[in-house]
Formats: sequence, C-alpha cells, structure tokens
Amino acid sequence: MLMVAPAVIITAALVIYPLAKGFQTSLESADAAVGGQPRFVGLGNYGDVLRSSTARDAIVHTVIYVTLAVTLELTLGLAVAVTLHRAFRGRGIVLAILILPWALPSVVSGVLWRRVFDPDSGLLNSVLQQLHIVGHPQVWLASRGWALVFIALVHVWGVLPLVSLILIAGLQSISEEVYSASAVDGATPLRQFRHITLPLLRPSIAVALTVGTVWAIKIFDEIYVLNGTALNTRSILMEVYNTTFVNADFAHGTALAFLLTAVTALFAGVYAVAFGRSTT
Amino acid sequence: VTRCRAAQLLRVVVITGIGLWSLAPIGLGVATSLSTQADVQAVPARWLPRHAMLDAYRSLLGGTGDFHAGGTVSESGAFAHAMWNSVSVTLMSTLAILCVAISAGYAFARLRFPGRGALFWAIVATTVVPVFTVVIALFELMADAHLIDRTLGLVLVFVSTTTPLAMWLVSNHVSELPTEPEEAALIDGCTRWQAFWHVVLPQMRSGIAALSAIVMLSVWGEFLIPLLLTSTSASKPVTVLIPEYVGKYTTNYPLLAAAGVLALLPPAVIALVLNRHIRGMLSGSS
Repeated sequence: MLMVAPAVIITAALVIYPLAKGFQTSLESADAAVGGQPRFVGLGNYGDVLRSSTARDAIVHTVIYVTLAVTLELTLGLAVAVTLHRAFRGRGIVLAILILPWALPSVVSGVLWRRVFDPDSGLLNSVLQQLHIVGHPQVWLASRGWALVFIALVHVWGVLPLVSLILIAGLQSISEEVYSASAVDGATPLRQFRHITLPLLRPSIAVALTVGTVWAIKIFDEIYVLNGTALNTRSILMEVYNTTFVNADFAHGTALAFLLTAVTALFAGVYAVAFGRSTT
Repeated sequence: VTRCRAAQLLRVVVITGIGLWSLAPIGLGVATSLSTQADVQAVPARWLPRHAMLDAYRSLLGGTGDFHAGGTVSESGAFAHAMWNSVSVTLMSTLAILCVAISAGYAFARLRFPGRGALFWAIVATTVVPVFTVVIALFELMADAHLIDRTLGLVLVFVSTTTPLAMWLVSNHVSELPTEPEEAALIDGCTRWQAFWHVVLPQMRSGIAALSAIVMLSVWGEFLIPLLLTSTSASKPVTVLIPEYVGKYTTNYPLLAAAGVLALLPPAVIALVLNRHIRGMLSGSS
C-alpha cells in the first residue's frame, strides 16, 4: 500500500483535484475573467462553444487531421511492417533509423519541416517552380486545404514509427506455420496477406488505429510552430489555447477542453477494449 | 525466381524510402543550420550551403551579443540557459517518475489489496486528460506554492502527467516476469521489500532502461505545459524558446535550424543508444 501511495497522492492532488475544479469552471459564467462573480450556468458554455463558428471550424480541421493522419499511418505503417518484420542483415540499423523521428520533440519536427513550406525561401515552391508545376510561389500554409495536408504530414512523420513498431510486433506474433501451410495449399502472397495477415493482425491494427487517433486528436505543437494560431489550420486544442490564454475566457476554453477529453476518452476506451481482447 | 527477385527489389525500395523519409528532414535541418541567410534566400533554392558556416550556432550560443532573428531579438546566453533548464528538468523529472512509477507499477502488478483494479484504472485513465482541463486550477495551486516559472514546479507537473503512462508500462512489464524467483525469496524469509529490491529490480534492468528512455524523450519534448507555466528564462525549456525564433514576417532559418539541431541531439542520442530496449517496450514484447 505504501508503494502506491506516492502515485495516488500525486495523481489526486495534481490531476484529479484540478480536473474537478476545471469542470466547475466550465459550468460557470465567464464573468470571473473580467473581475465579476461567476454564476452557475450549467451546460450553457458547452452550448456556446458548439455554436461558435471558430470552434466548429476547429472541430472540422481536427477531424481532417485525424482522418489524414490515421489513414497515412496505417497504410504506410503496414508497408513498413511487412518489409521489416522478418530478420535480415542490417535490420537493427534500419529500425534504429525508423524510430528516430518519433524520438524528437514535435516542436523540432515543425522546425525541420518549416523551411520546406516557406513561401519565399521554401524548397517545395522552388522544386515545383523548376518543374513548371506552379508559376508563382504558393503561400502553402495560408491556403486551407494544403495547409491541413502538410501539417498532417509533419505530424505523421513523428507518429509513423510508433504505429509501425506496433504493427511489426503484431506480425511477429503470427506463426510462420500458417503461411507455409497455406503456401502448400497454393495461396499466392497477395491472397495470404488478404486472408491470413489482415485478419490475424486485427488486434494490432486496433491498437495502432487508436494510438494514432489519440495522438492526432490533440495535435498542437506542429501547428504552433508551422502556422501559429492562424484560423485556417486551428485544431480543437489550438482553439482551446486561444480561447483560454489569448482571450482569457476560462469558462468557454475549459468547456471545449472537456468536450475534447470526452471524445479522447471514448477512443481510449476502444483502445483498452481492443488491447484487452488481444492479450487474452 | 522472378517473383523472389521482385520482392527483393521491392524491399530495397521500401527500406531506402524509410531511410530518406526519416533522415532527410534532419539532414535538411543540419544543412540549413550551416547555411547563411544568403544561401537560404537564394532563388532557385540552394539545398546545401555554399560554404558551411558555424555562424548560426555561434550567435545562438551567445558570445556575439544580440542577434536579430527576423524581427525578434534573442538575448545572448538565453539558448544555453534554456538547454540547461531542459536538461535539469528532464533529469529530475525522470528520476522522480521512475521511483514513483516503478514502486506503484510493481505493487499493482503483484500485490493484492482492496480497490486495486479501480485505483489502477483511475490513475491510468488520467493519461487522456488534456492539460487545458486542469491548467487553470493547476496554475492557482502553483501560484499558492510560489512555483510558477520555477523548474521545480515543472518537475511536479511532469511527474503527475507522465507517471500514469510509466506506471502502466511497468505493471505490464512486471506481470510478464516469472513469479518464481520472488516467491523463492519470500519463502527464504525475505520481506516483500527485500524481495523487490534484490530480486525483482535486477530482473527489470532492460525494462527500466527502456522506461527511462521513453520518459526522458517525452519530458524533453513537452511543449504545451511549459508554454503555459513558464514566462522567463528562469525556467523556460528549449522547446518553448525555439518557436520564439520564428519571425513574424521573415524567419532566420539558419538560426532556427541550429536551435532545432541542438535540441534534437540529446533525444537522438538516447533513441539510438537505447533503441533496442525502447522498441521492446513500445511494441509490448519486452
């Protein structure tokens, strides 16, 4: 009991207690910010937030980030895992290089990629102009569509290693005998992948899917470095940051943060269920 | 035979792709950090500097006084101080998280006590809580304890936010270890604590190496929490300082890239040295 006490006390004092206080803030009017006395408004702030157009845009952007990120991570992750799960010479080095982007701070990922998308001295513009694909330099991060795609790409750069490792572990848990038996029966590699690999990999795919979703849903650092709080790329967390700390509207900011928590918890729940099933 | 060769070729292509994808942005960052503003602004873009220069690093680490970074001025010594803040916060937090998470993770995996399951999941569930839901109350708590803009305050918050995940990894790891050695020690008259210290901890060596690496990387990369809880160079870590080098209209890319390269060195070294252990723990097969 003594051994769990520090963990329990720290979590209770610095997470659970502030969480309860935060929930209280989200149910009160925003008057405290201007020096007034907050009054209880129930779920009013939640309604306000869902009606605000910037918050709605942020929700749409976040859905796009999550969809793009998870799709790319799973397809590329599967390709990486199928290539790397069997032993070969130099595999250790390749795996070490593979996990490198995951190890770097996401702020640094943003910094490394920033010069690529810069409108004036950007490398992307330079290449596209030399190939005569675009006539003028494009301000990529100011456009709506491309900015979301590129930010998602930078995010994927950091998370793909983790997803790949999960899928590699999944592939390694599938016994070789299943493959040799089906090869005897005349199955082609493509059919094997479709009818053996994918179904047996389902638990790992569920884990990878949810890890990818939980990470992408709280995307913030990469956007902050690449495009600041610009409206065209704001994620939900960026909108929370802006509401709470730039506009000092604690009540609405916290309400939106709790909505995000609820959605994230939902996905994490799916993760727990999927993971629980895969280990039993 | 042709299919075999095609598969071999495909593998080479994919592996080259992985290498390029992982390393090219880092290589580009290094090249940019060795460039001059003239190199960076050249049309068409120059990927590699004409002459490699260490000017950006020199200005960043001080010694040349103030440096104009595309409209923003960086104080000399500010970057070195931020690096020091990051190093000290990371080391202190990691040590504290390891102590708290290993003892709790072990207890949850091995001991039976009332409320065990509920308590465990309550702590693990807090990993999904975004910092904004707690930050205002946390800020008040920290202000009462005079811990705003102090490295100790950051350490406390990181311990509370990172312990749940670390504890979860430890308990997974411990439950995969064989129970016989501990049971033998207990039968031989060791106390639970002695058995933990002399029998279990040595068995966990690889797991602890992986855990320290994962915790260090995660604390080093933290951005949002220090962005909210630090205001001056007294406690600002390097991740919070770096975005300040991004100019409003033009950005001094060599300086920004040099800052990025210096900030990625410690995590890159950790990831490369401990990568076997990290892989084992992340994929849940350690």
